[in-house]
Amino acid sequence: MNLFVTALLAVEDPTQTHHWLLPETAEIIYGGLASVIVFGGLFKFAGPMVKKSMKARTEKIQKELDGAAAARSKSETDAAGIRQALGDIEAERRKILAEADAQATAILADGRARLTKEVAELEAKAAADLAAARGRSGEELRGEIARLSSAATSSAVAASLNERAQQELIESFIKSVGAAK
Amino acid sequence: MSDARIEAYSRALFEVAQAEGNLSVVEDELFRMARAVESSEQLRGILTDATIPAERRQQVVEQLLGGKASNTSVQLVSLIVGSGRGRDLPAIVDRLVQRASSEQQREVAEVRSAVALSDDQTKRLAEALSKSTGRKLNLKVVVDPSVLGGLVATVGDEVIDDTVRTRLEQIKTRI
Repeated sequence: MNLFVTALLAVEDPTQTHHWLLPETAEIIYGGLASVIVFGGLFKFAGPMVKKSMKARTEKIQKELDGAAAARSKSETDAAGIRQALGDIEAERRKILAEADAQATAILADGRARLTKEVAELEAKAAADLAAARGRSGEELRGEIARLSSAATSSAVAASLNERAQQELIESFIKSVGAAK
Repeated sequence: MSDARIEAYSRALFEVAQAEGNLSVVEDELFRMARAVESSEQLRGILTDATIPAERRQQVVEQLLGGKASNTSVQLVSLIVGSGRGRDLPAIVDRLVQRASSEQQREVAEVRSAVALSDDQTKRLAEALSKSTGRKLNLKVVVDPSVLGGLVATVGDEVIDDTVRTRLEQIKTRI
């Protein structure tokens, strides 16, 4: 022990210092050894933990990167879907508008045709009614003439049917029936 | 009225008239009465009106036929009208006439004329119709002014029409 202290003191001797900036050789040796020991301890004991922590961090970052990539991919897919849906909606809108246009055109055409037909029918009916009214007037006139004629005939015949005429008719009937077979 | 009831009434009338010995006269008088009921709505209304007492309806019959028809005919019509069968008088009498004609193996021939026929005309007409149809006939003449003139004879389903009314109708149709 004493030897060691003596040696240490001897080492600490400022007179034996060979340069003001550089440490003593022993100090370098001890310091180096101590550093090696400290670093070695650190490497041995803290290294795995650091390595593990780094690995975990790397994995976490990778995972976050993967998640972000997946989210991005999904977002791109969604965006594509939305773009497509937008495109579909636009196409559907155009289709509905086209159909509505077609239906409106058809309804218009139908309505026009129906109106034309109805007008033609009304015209025909009016013409027929006019003709019928004309005919009816003629018929009524003819009927009235016939009625008056027949009334006049009946009156004339009835006036001429005196007793003699009645007897002649009866005799005529008896003769014609008797001669029938 | 049911057919059976009409048949029963006509049989009763027939037997009464036969029993009285004047079937021919009674059926002829009843036939004329039936035609009068058919042609006169007013008479039909009085004889069939259920609100008029039966005695009153019978009085009407007796007033109408009294002195113009035999007592048997008056009593028979009065019986039918009094029993509330006035509406069926024509049908009952027609059945009676058919029965009477069948008894004599004759067919009923109904002749309508605007004026009454003389006995001679009736006889000659019956002969002419019998000759024409080839059947024995029981001729019934109905005075019907609506025919205007001439005669129309109905024998079964056969109709011989030579009336002024029909001729006028034909002329009217042609006009």
